[in-house]
Amino acid sequence: MDGIPGPDEFRAQARSWLRTVAPARATHLEWGRGEDSVAVFENWTEDEERAHTERTRAWERVRHDQGWGALSWPAGYGGRELPSHYEQLYRAEESAFDVPRRTEIFPVTQQLVAPALRIWGTEEQKRRLLRPLLRTDELACQLFSETEAGSDLAAVRTRAVREEDGWRLNGHKIWTSGARVATWGVAVCRTDPDVPKHAGITVFLVRMDAPGVTVRPIRQMTGGSSFNEVYLDDVLVPDTDRLGPVGEGWRVALTVLAAERLDSGGLGLDNADRALDLARHLPRPLTDGERQQAADLFVRALVQRLIAVRVTSALASGRAPGAEASVGKLHATATMRATTDLVQQLLGPRLAADTGEWGTFAWTEHLLGAPGYRIAGGSDEIQRNILAERVLGLPKEPKGAGR
Amino acid sequence: MFRLDADPALLRETEEQRQLRSVLRDFLAQTCGPEEVRKQADSPRGHDEVLWHRLADEIGVHGLAVPEEYGGAGGTFAELAVAMEETGRVLCPAPLLSTVVLAGHALLDSGDRQACERWLPGIADGMLTASVAGFPHPGGVTAEQGAGGWVLRGEADFVPDGAGADLLLVAARAPDGERLFACAPDPATCERTARRVLDPTRRQARVRFRGAPAEPVGEPGRAPDTVAGVLDAARAALAAEHVGGSAHALDAVLAHVVRRTQFGRPIGSFQAVKHRLADLLVEVEGARSAAAYAAACLAGRRTDQLPVAASAAAVACTAAYRLATAEYVQLHGGIGFTWEHPAHLYLRRARADEALFGTGDDHRLRLAGLLGLTGRTG
Repeated sequence: MDGIPGPDEFRAQARSWLRTVAPARATHLEWGRGEDSVAVFENWTEDEERAHTERTRAWERVRHDQGWGALSWPAGYGGRELPSHYEQLYRAEESAFDVPRRTEIFPVTQQLVAPALRIWGTEEQKRRLLRPLLRTDELACQLFSETEAGSDLAAVRTRAVREEDGWRLNGHKIWTSGARVATWGVAVCRTDPDVPKHAGITVFLVRMDAPGVTVRPIRQMTGGSSFNEVYLDDVLVPDTDRLGPVGEGWRVALTVLAAERLDSGGLGLDNADRALDLARHLPRPLTDGERQQAADLFVRALVQRLIAVRVTSALASGRAPGAEASVGKLHATATMRATTDLVQQLLGPRLAADTGEWGTFAWTEHLLGAPGYRIAGGSDEIQRNILAERVLGLPKEPKGAGR
Repeated sequence: MFRLDADPALLRETEEQRQLRSVLRDFLAQTCGPEEVRKQADSPRGHDEVLWHRLADEIGVHGLAVPEEYGGAGGTFAELAVAMEETGRVLCPAPLLSTVVLAGHALLDSGDRQACERWLPGIADGMLTASVAGFPHPGGVTAEQGAGGWVLRGEADFVPDGAGADLLLVAARAPDGERLFACAPDPATCERTARRVLDPTRRQARVRFRGAPAEPVGEPGRAPDTVAGVLDAARAALAAEHVGGSAHALDAVLAHVVRRTQFGRPIGSFQAVKHRLADLLVEVEGARSAAAYAAACLAGRRTDQLPVAASAAAVACTAAYRLATAEYVQLHGGIGFTWEHPAHLYLRRARADEALFGTGDDHRLRLAGLLGLTGRTG
């Protein structure tokens, strides 16, 4: 292929560019000093969330404008048409530099929504929105789950009714990350209640500042708020902001959900590494049982990384990744649970009561946050259904009422 | 601090490896089906010598990772791992692990060119079977220099395929430290007793040396490194076998649960069954990744990462094989508990193999030591 640098050359180029725009991260974080947060979900106030989002957005714009943003996208969208795994090569280099950590709204915008819009959007929508999404001038959140439509997403009840000059939306969405900072919401709505439930769905792009949109934070079990409820009350959406054909919304939603699964393979690895560091630095010798438990976590994290390498490798060779891509999220949630278990054993009472010591009670943030990822982004049980039915080809559950 | 540095290209199967896998799978399907495995397992030698020679002559399995100068194909461990996975998939009772992996690597790792020239060509063309003695359980054999050369005395137990091997590479205590010796066992000086074994497709023997003549292999002082390297290669090979055996178990269970009907539906449509098979798939894919990494370390001569990679593969692959064989029996219900069903042969292999070069927990302890996961000990 002409003009495509080899992987090593590309990584070297990325490194030398990063040196001109960002400071290097301290290579060896000294144990016992500095940041000891291991929060799985940020516990920010709205102001803190906005401030962090602005910092990250400024960095994403630098990346985009200097040709290091939308790497695999066509030049028309500010990209370089590099193979898709070059994104991971770039990330590996970027991790050595001190740049703002991307909160969930960024991968949702760039890795989930933008690719779905490229597949399902009209030419006009692509012209109008793709580049601003990739450059994060616009940020998009997912208006998917509802109180009565969690794992059974196709049961959504938020109604979109056709009007003369567009659609009128009414409903209640829940568990939306980044709703406070998003400019667009991707809303899965029911447009036809009289057909089988998967057939009556349509997806809309909703301006988050449109009249009738109300965002209310949810206080989660960690004590903080990183998710929101979003109320849609007589929200008017022009037909030009419908994503995909009327009645095809289920397929549009599946496009986004598949990307979400692919994006989740790296979850939990940073905290697993941190727990292993705790096992190294604990001020007493570990028992044999504790050593085995720590080594087991090491193997889990290593395997999770290797699976990600295999996915990259499959993409690099132009092959669609197989089972290895779908198992990533279940590995990730198991790693997070094993991290909690190891830390529980190593810290004992200092996990239950705050002694003020560095890197001890801070683990409660992990302990309380980790269960969230077994539910978010397709619960562990839904992941197992997907593996069983789509990868292993087992028969579907007999359909209940309404299916 | 350990940092994963795996080249994606090394974890990817090459076109040659894909072809090798497909040829071997077809070949073994014809020559080494369940009936054949049982027949061979019941035979005195424990394997079929005709199949052994066909594997060497028609496919060249034995010489895959042997350098060309010693009569091999000059490939890497990655090709050998493909062969181990495929033979592990059908429980092929041929003594590949003992001859090609253990003895072959002992010779190669010894750095003794003369020994390699003398024995590796025989291993590569299938004319010589061999094994190692005293490797995971050292200390029982001593070597002394008599008038006619070196002789071995003492006992080595649990020697894989030890009763039938033409050549034994023995780790023995010599006056100048642990050394490696090659011994062609003669009943007059070497008494070999086949042990009754849990896994009839992989034999073990107790070997008593009574002044058995032997030749030193490699320089004095090198044996501990050679033994360590051979054991890690063996762990990587076993990991590949476990992936093959686990994948077979998963395939067999899948075929069963879509066919078997209870309560008027295929049992594979019950979520309780589906989720267990999804979990098994997760474990098997993890095992496959860990095994590929260990093989890649050997193929790319990444000896610095090999001990961690080999033990991690042992942990991941023994866990997967345990689960796979337990589910193989359980999800077949009563038929899976019968003597006639092959499930127990896989369960036997999984548990017996884990005793060979360290259990999962042994390897977790080793990893903790290698990675400093010990707390402050000073």
